[in-house]
Amino acid sequence: MTQPKPNRAAELFDLKGRVAIVTGGAGLLGYHHGAILASAGANVVLLDLATADPELRALQLTREFGSDNIGIVGDITLESSIQQARDQILRKFGRIDILINNAANNPKVESGNMAWSRFENFPLEVWDADIRVGLTGAFLCSRVFGNEMVKRNAGVILNVASDLAVIAPDQRLYRVDGLPEDKQPVKPVTYSVVKTALLGLTRYLATYWADFNVRVNAISPGGVFNGQPEVFLSRLRELIPLKRMANRDEYQGAILFLCSDASSYMTGTNLIIDGGRSCL
Amino acid sequence: MSLSSDPLSVRELFSVADKTVVLTGASGFLGRTFVKALLTNGARVVALGRSERLLREGEDWARDFGSNKISIHRVDMYNIGELAAVLDRIVAEEDSIDALVNNAHELGPGTGFNVQEGALETATLDVWMRNLTGGVYWAALTTQKVGAKMKQQRSGSIINISTMYALVAPRPQLYAGTNFINPAGYSASKAALLSFTRYVASFWGSFGIRANAILPGPFSNTEDVGGANAVQEDDPFLSRLKSYTCIGRIGKPSELAGALLFLASDASSFMTGQAITIDGGWTAV
Repeated sequence: MTQPKPNRAAELFDLKGRVAIVTGGAGLLGYHHGAILASAGANVVLLDLATADPELRALQLTREFGSDNIGIVGDITLESSIQQARDQILRKFGRIDILINNAANNPKVESGNMAWSRFENFPLEVWDADIRVGLTGAFLCSRVFGNEMVKRNAGVILNVASDLAVIAPDQRLYRVDGLPEDKQPVKPVTYSVVKTALLGLTRYLATYWADFNVRVNAISPGGVFNGQPEVFLSRLRELIPLKRMANRDEYQGAILFLCSDASSYMTGTNLIIDGGRSCL
Repeated sequence: MSLSSDPLSVRELFSVADKTVVLTGASGFLGRTFVKALLTNGARVVALGRSERLLREGEDWARDFGSNKISIHRVDMYNIGELAAVLDRIVAEEDSIDALVNNAHELGPGTGFNVQEGALETATLDVWMRNLTGGVYWAALTTQKVGAKMKQQRSGSIINISTMYALVAPRPQLYAGTNFINPAGYSASKAALLSFTRYVASFWGSFGIRANAILPGPFSNTEDVGGANAVQEDDPFLSRLKSYTCIGRIGKPSELAGALLFLASDASSFMTGQAITIDGGWTAV
């Protein structure tokens, strides 16, 4: 019988010497995903658009956690931009161990004034743009960064899906009193489609790269509290057994678990963390 | 030119004509609609049930569809010895059995519905065991007995009536301020039935036996006024229930008949180990 070593818990979750890329890494959740990886010792690369200022956010990470982190301005819908990011990362750190496909368009439906998001009106340009960021971006990043993992015969890809990858949106959440039916805001169709597709990409890559020791999993978080209107919150609470939205740092445990050796026998799975919403 | 001579007309594909179907819980709220759906489409039904009502229904069915089409067995299924004997007799008497529908479940105080003995905090061993007996052991026993014959025939379709609560939990706010209690043992036993369905599908597929489940959503009994598990049409509980579906209403028993005929007929001949959820969209959101 083998006895666990006394420091096994710390070792299991340790990311020292590993290089982790977070797409959309300067955003609300992306930064917190990066923060837990940095605090576990990883060198974190926040990849995001210039408007999100990933370089400044990376400085914040370094100041807070001490590890060497960088921000890279890049567009994940362009393969050449991702390749440039890859080259920059390899020059700086020499390796790529972890990729979190986190970037996605997610307009704030709960603040109303979103009649354009209705299925009947949904602009084709928005459909294309949402799919390019959320799905094509994950595909391209997985290919470019995943290939580096394949070369080294080790790596982890984590796709950030959503509770809306396993259930349909309840559009009653977003209703605004007094608006006619055809003006009522709804959660955009692309959100469900992109997030569900990421589960397919997760399973596909899990078997595709299994021989190269690249693990691929998904996480399906529920909504994060970010000052949404009380009328929305009170409706949503009724759908969630824990009776609240998530705090922005509440996915960090799962992110670290799935990116570290603590989950070394897990691949092709989807970890649902939604306060119990999808179990009702 | 057709690639295959298999029947593709709806009438042939979904036909249960002259098939023999054994069905438990035949006089219950859903069961009696299942019996009628099968009889209306030409099947012979071997109906098991506990209540006296079954005898009256049986006379009506014999009159409407012919006495050769219906066989009635009144049995208290908690009496396992008696149930086994009835099943042995059915297996010996019937020339062949094409489908088995495990529909029976006690929905009343004995299994903890709407009484404190059913609540999570206070459920008794007796309530738990009655749920597990009715929810999964009855199906295990009927499957053993009828399944032995299906194995000899090298064909058969087993249809287990579970519930959407095998997939999702009941919502506490549905019951807040009411006297309704949906016992934990019900969800647990029906989830066990779903697992049992897959087990049978896996082990007996090579004998040509299929096993599938139907997972009904809200099908409240508004017909049996005053019955142990009946709900009044105007009960505010019903409007809450409706609000959790996408379709905005509760289901009618006849809305399960299509799935039943699909699973009982050759229309589903390559389907096994699966579940059909019929819940007005409850589990989709």
